Order: sequence, then C-alpha cells, then structure tokens
Amino acid sequence: MRHDFYLAWRHLRHHRTRTLILVLCLGLIAALPLGLHQVLEAGEYWMTRRAEATPLLVGARGSSVDLTLGALYFSETGVPTIRMQEADRITATGWADALPVYARHRVQDQPLIGVTLDYFDFRGLAPAQGELPAILGDCVLGADAADRLGLGPGGTLASSSENAFDLAGSYPLKLHVTGVLAKAHSPDDHAVFVDIQTAWVIEGLGHGHGETQAAPTRPDSPFGSPTVRRADAGLLTYTEITPENLEFFHFHGDPATYPISAVIALPHDTRAATLLQGRYLDDHSETEIVRPLDVTRGLLQNIFRVGALFDGILLLVGTIALLLVALVFSLSLRLRQREIETIYLLGCARLTVLRLLFAEILLIALIAAAVCAAVLATAAPYASDLARHFILS
Amino acid sequence: MIEIERLSFRYPGAGTGVALPALRIERGARVAIIGPSGAGKTTLLKLIAGILTPGTGTVRVDGITVSALDDDARRNFRISRIGFVFQELELLDYLSVYDNIVHPYRINRVLKLDRQVRDRARALAEHTGLGDKLAALPRELSQGERQRAAVCRALLTEPDLLLADEATGNLDPANKLRIIELLTRAAERNRATLLAVTHDHELLPLFDRVIDIRQPGSPRAE
Amino acid sequence: MPTFRILSFVIALLAAASAWGAGAVSEHPLKIVASNYPLAYFAERLAGSWATVTLPAPADADPAYWRPDVKAVGAMQKADLILLNGADYEKWLAHVALPRLKRVDTSAGFRDRFIRIENAVVHSHGPAGQHSHEGTAYTTWLDFDQAAQQAEAVAKALIVRRPELETAVLDALKALQTDLAGLDGELKRIATAKPGVPLMASHPVYQYLARRYGLNLKSVHWEPGEMPPEKEWTELGKTLTVHPAKTMLWEARPSPAIADKLSAKGVTSVVFDPCANRPESGDFLAVMKRNIENLKMALQR
Repeated sequence: MRHDFYLAWRHLRHHRTRTLILVLCLGLIAALPLGLHQVLEAGEYWMTRRAEATPLLVGARGSSVDLTLGALYFSETGVPTIRMQEADRITATGWADALPVYARHRVQDQPLIGVTLDYFDFRGLAPAQGELPAILGDCVLGADAADRLGLGPGGTLASSSENAFDLAGSYPLKLHVTGVLAKAHSPDDHAVFVDIQTAWVIEGLGHGHGETQAAPTRPDSPFGSPTVRRADAGLLTYTEITPENLEFFHFHGDPATYPISAVIALPHDTRAATLLQGRYLDDHSETEIVRPLDVTRGLLQNIFRVGALFDGILLLVGTIALLLVALVFSLSLRLRQREIETIYLLGCARLTVLRLLFAEILLIALIAAAVCAAVLATAAPYASDLARHFILS
Repeated sequence: MIEIERLSFRYPGAGTGVALPALRIERGARVAIIGPSGAGKTTLLKLIAGILTPGTGTVRVDGITVSALDDDARRNFRISRIGFVFQELELLDYLSVYDNIVHPYRINRVLKLDRQVRDRARALAEHTGLGDKLAALPRELSQGERQRAAVCRALLTEPDLLLADEATGNLDPANKLRIIELLTRAAERNRATLLAVTHDHELLPLFDRVIDIRQPGSPRAE
Repeated sequence: MPTFRILSFVIALLAAASAWGAGAVSEHPLKIVASNYPLAYFAERLAGSWATVTLPAPADADPAYWRPDVKAVGAMQKADLILLNGADYEKWLAHVALPRLKRVDTSAGFRDRFIRIENAVVHSHGPAGQHSHEGTAYTTWLDFDQAAQQAEAVAKALIVRRPELETAVLDALKALQTDLAGLDGELKRIATAKPGVPLMASHPVYQYLARRYGLNLKSVHWEPGEMPPEKEWTELGKTLTVHPAKTMLWEARPSPAIADKLSAKGVTSVVFDPCANRPESGDFLAVMKRNIENLKMALQR
C-alpha cells in the first residue's frame, strides 16, 4: 500500500499543474457550502446570543426589525428617535431597569453609540486598556473599532455632526479616547461608545461657551484652534472639551425630552416583563416594546431560507463540478493507457493498476480536504464579520 | 532450457503472428534472434515470457509449461524468472531513474523491496554508468542512458532468462556494443539464458547461436 | 501607579469572583459614594458595617461648588451606589459619565416642592470664583421632614441592592427618622414660640429651613472670612430699617472683625451650619442640635 501511495504521489507531483487545478477545484467546491454554513452559524450565534442577552427593547413604533438591528447590532438603518423620558418612565414602573441607547451617529464609519455607564456592566464590557469615559467628550472604543481607527487611550477622533457647516448648530466634537474595551465578539467590538450626554453634545443639544479669555488656545492642535467662533454670536463654541472648559458646557431644555434610539429594559422577573409589555399594547402610542429574540428569530428564518436556496444551488454546482472532475480523470486515464500497459508488462496485476489509481484519487481527495480545511480555517475569523455584513447591509 | 513445440500464434484480426514447429535453447546459451520486421520476433519473446498465450502448441521453460499456467501463476513466473528489456523501453516518465529500476518491486507483491535490492539497484546503476543519474527523469537522459536504465531494471531481479527486444536500436555502435556486453556478462554471471532480438548483424558474433525466425530449423552458428 | 492599577484590577476580579459564588453576594461591603455629608451620614447610619461610604469632595470644600475631576469620576463609577442630593445640587452631573442605575436622586420624591431662585446676582467670593444662586435652592436637608424623605430614598436604594438587609435597614431608618423628627419638632416648637422674628442670613442657603419653620429670613451674600465691602454694609443698613433683624445666621463662625462690626449694628452672629461637608467633630445630628440650640438662643433674645 505504501508503494501505491508513493507511486501515486510521484505521478501527482510530476503533473503538478493538473494536480493543483484538480485539488483547488475540489477543495473550493467543498469549502463553499461549508464556508457558507460557517458564516450562517456564526451569524446565528452572533445574533441569537445578542438577542438572548437583551430581554426587552423599547423604541419608536414602526419596524421592529430596524429597531432591533439599530439598537442591538448598530446597523445604519435609521429609526425615529424617542425621548429620554421613556427610560425614566420604565425605571419609574419599578419593574425593570432601563438602559437608554442612542445609536444615531457614526464616527469615521464606526457606529457612535451613546449609552449610560450601566451599559458596560450589562454587556460585561470592561476596558482592556485605559478607563471608561469619565467626562463629556470622552469615548471608549470597541476592540475592532480601535484596530480599525488605529487609536488607543490618549488618542482623539473627531465626531461628524449632522452638518459641519451649520453655523447655528453644532460643530464636530473632538472626542478623547479614554480606553479600549476587551474583545467581546459582539457588535460592541465595532462601536465607539460615548456617554449619552456626550452624544447629545454631538447632536448640538449641549454646548459650551464662555468668556473669550476662558477659551484654551492650543495652536499645535491638528484640528486647528480648539475653538470655533460662532458667526451669529460673539461667543465661542468649543469643539473640544477639556477639564478647563468643561464647566461652560451646558444643556438647553429638559434632558427628559432629549432623543434616544431605544431603551433596553431589563425586567426584574417574568411577571415584571409581562406587566411592562402590557404597558405598550396601545396601538396609538408612539413607542412599542419588542422582544429582540422574536425579531432575530424571524430574521434568521429568512436568512436560513436563503441559505437553503444557496445549498441547493451549490449542490447542483457541486454535482456538475464532480462530473467534470470525473471526466478529466477518465480522460487522463486514456492518456495514461500507455503507462498502464507498461506497468502491466512489468508484471503488475490489473487489480494493482486499480489500486494505484485509487491511491491517486485518495491523495487528491486528502489534499483537497486539506485545502478546504485551510480555506475554512483562514476564513473562520472573518465568518462573524461576514455574517454581520450579510445581516446588517 | 527453453523448449517450444508446434507453436502458433495469430493476433486477432491481423495477419501477423508466429509459427514455430520446434525450438530448443539450452540453459546459459546466448542466442540472437533475427528476421525481418513483422516476422514475429517480439511475439516469440512475449510468448516465452508468458505475456501472450499461444493459440496452439507449448512453451516450456526449465520444465515449466508456461502456456498451461493460469494468469496469476504466469505473471508470478515472469516476474521472478524473467528479465525483459522491451523494444520501447517502457520507462515511466514521472519516475526517476532509480524509481524506474526498482519499479517492478513496487508493483508486484511477490517481490520485496528491501535494503539488499536497493543496494543492488544502486550497484547496477553504478556499473552501467548511471550512478550520477539516479535522481534524473528519463527525459533528461540520452537514448543510451535510457537503454541502460531499462537493462538495469531487467537485471535487478537476477533472472534465469533474459529477454531483450531490440535493446540496441537507435544507438551508435559503441553504445550498442556496451549494451550487448552488459547483457551477455550479466547472463554469464547469473548462468542465465539470453535471448536477444536484433537487427544488427555486426553484433551477431557476440552470440553463441543465431536463430532466423523464418528458418528456425537451420541454426547458423557463427 | 501601575501597581495600584494591578491591585485595583485584582480587587475587581476578586469582587467579580465573589459575586459569582452563590451566597457570597453579601461578602463585600457596598461601596457608596455620597455627594454631600448629610447623605453620607444617612447612608452610614442605615447601612452600618455593610457599606463603606465615601464623600469625594475634599474636606475643606463646599460639595455644592466642588467639581469632580476625572479621577474622582472614575472612583464614583466603581461605586455600587451613588447618592445624589438632587435639586440641582450636583451641577457637574451633566458633565460626567456615571451609571444611571447606580444613581439615587434622593430628593426626587419632593421635586414639585423645590424652591426656585429667580433674579439672583452673580457674585464672587473665596477661591471658588464667581457663582450665582440662580436655579433651584438645594439645601433640602435643612427641612428635616425632607431630610427624612431623603433618608428613606437612601434606605430604599440600599434594600434594592441588599434585599437580605431589609429589616436591619428599616430598623435603622426608623431610628434615624425618629432623630430627624426630633429635630423637626424642636425647631417647629421654638419657631412657633416666636413667630415672625426678623432674621438675616449671610448666604442664601436657608430657603427650605425658612419655609418649613416659618422663619422671617432675608439674605445677603457674605462669606465668614471675607470682610464685605462698604457698599454691602450700606445695603445691610437699608435692609435693617425695614427688616429689623437682631441675628444673622452664618454657615460658619464669621471673622471677629465682621462679627464686631455686625454687633455694633446690633446684629448678633449665630452659626447655623448646613453641614454639607463632614464636620471636624461630632456628626450631622450633633451639628444640627447645636444649630437649633444657637437659633433658640438667638430667638429668645
């Protein structure tokens, strides 16, 4: 048997190009459906785990899918905002803890998520480097966001406000990175987190201005002067919050009316959950409550239906490909007729010829399997990213 | 000793074949077989080797009636007793010279590729001037080197009967001589019988006996 | 510094580990941060040895004007409970990131009874720089009935965090509320004995005190260690003609020069310490008793 494999290996090596093509074809044919399932499973795991960890979600009445995708997975689909008082109202019931989430903005293509500090406790997020945000203008980066932005504690990044040239409104705010969160293998890895009050500053609801002399000047700042002179008033509007100008920052109006995307409600028990859900039964109210798990289950069912369709197509493509490979092999057998004659002349039994061929097929299959495994292993770390793209875009 | 009686063979659907009323070749004899193309020289060698089975008549080698053996037995007989240098050499293009020489040991269970055999293969290659070409592929060799490699493969089993089918074809005179000398010396060393088909009349003096396939009854001893 | 970080990390790990272990939940004492001393005092009395209560404002600062720096915010973030006075007391709250679920706004229960201060003057004294009292009056605890409600809010928050301590906390609350009710009754008694006596306050921090106990109080903006400019004295003279107060309440003992100048005008200086920060001696109850005693003597004059 050892000799069969040796000779088969020699033959395969001699015809490298042919072998390579065969192996790649077979390997990829096998890797494609397996990879697809890997992605689907990663997506399912990624989505389900997140949804399971988020018992109830309150947001603007409308698409519960958009609401869930926005508040849990930070998708770019915009949902109407609700008011901060919704969180207060939920807390006031005494049935659930309320975690407001404001996921409307993006910063350098990463979702910018305004949360209260409780969010980090709730999701089990702890800084791997540095600290959590402490004052206005601080932000903490998810592990992948930090990688992508190339930032760590001490770094800065500029938020993009709704309209950078809106003279009457807000200006880009320079965010200070205070820390980088440990990798959580969840959507949190991609986010830039700020305290919800900082999110409101970015929104233009809070701003700082004081006497001119109080404004710090730092000419070497890459953002130019850290202050911007407002055109309409003789006041200075800060684009960077520093401990020196912090006290000049203030909010106008009642914070209870400030916008948030959703409230994650953590009911104290099942009874409280039922009671809380009962509060949102009114079809005319502006808010609705959803169970993210129900939403993602519906979503996943659709995705798996698409997956099954893909499987069918791949099965067909795979069969055709295997037939082609068989054709190639049988053609090459014809080409090898002379060689088979030779080994027969050298005293080889017909059965041995078959064994040699079998060894060759087995070797090709093994190498193809290795290629397939290698492809899958290389793709594995990206499976959840890929799934994220699938589901969110 | 090879004994052939009333042998006849025809390729199915073809006019060619061979017919021999009787032929005896003593053990240890060095015999050249001559005759024009298509006269059945190669067919005769294949019938003796048991690669082909005769239509009628018998072929006996050292008392064994080869034509009466079943397929397996005939193959085993061929592998263990006969060394065959084919007209087309039958070297495998994807194996190195060394792997070609030991190839019979890799495809036949009755032969065991042990250390002794490997050493012998190397020694044979050394002896035939292929010592530094063991790793080369056949297409990297000259025609003479390829012929020698084929001879080495035939000699490796130390056969009782050496069959050489045009082993010197397409070679320059010096190489022709070298191959025939190789074969005759090996036959002598192993006290083996040598049956060589040849077209080269200048080589005939090196043989004990010359058989013209058209008149096998009239041996021309030279 | 790295050693400290590692140490705090290890402690956090241990805390997390112990939180996981069943039944070990109560092992580590609750970390409570209070934004002023009265709340810290309530928490200490209610939680006893089950909690460590810290007051992040430095001992020499008025917590009402103190602003936490990044380090202080970090420390507060790590607390289990952050007790806030509310009523706009923590003006820094909008500038810092603190977990909402750990925050307790102790005055939320009587939000509708906050006193709004309109048309306040921006003034400056001391190292804290300019400030104004515009907005909401925040010394809510000087109304001892409100103080009792704040104590109850603290107790409720404690019970949510440590349900197993409910009885102990409720017992402690009862005792504390009895003490506060004692103060309340005493103040009411002495105030109703001499209704409408005109009083001056050195600083506008006694709004709730005046409202609860019917004190006839007018305020200037003076600091105990800073001699007011002549203009202020003239203003005071004018006020005294329509509001003939014989007593001025001070947050702390005024400098002898001010006290002398005041007594020359027939006004005695009396300390009524709001006790926003931890007193050098005694506790909240002792300080308040002393305050009431001081006020009683002043009113009896």
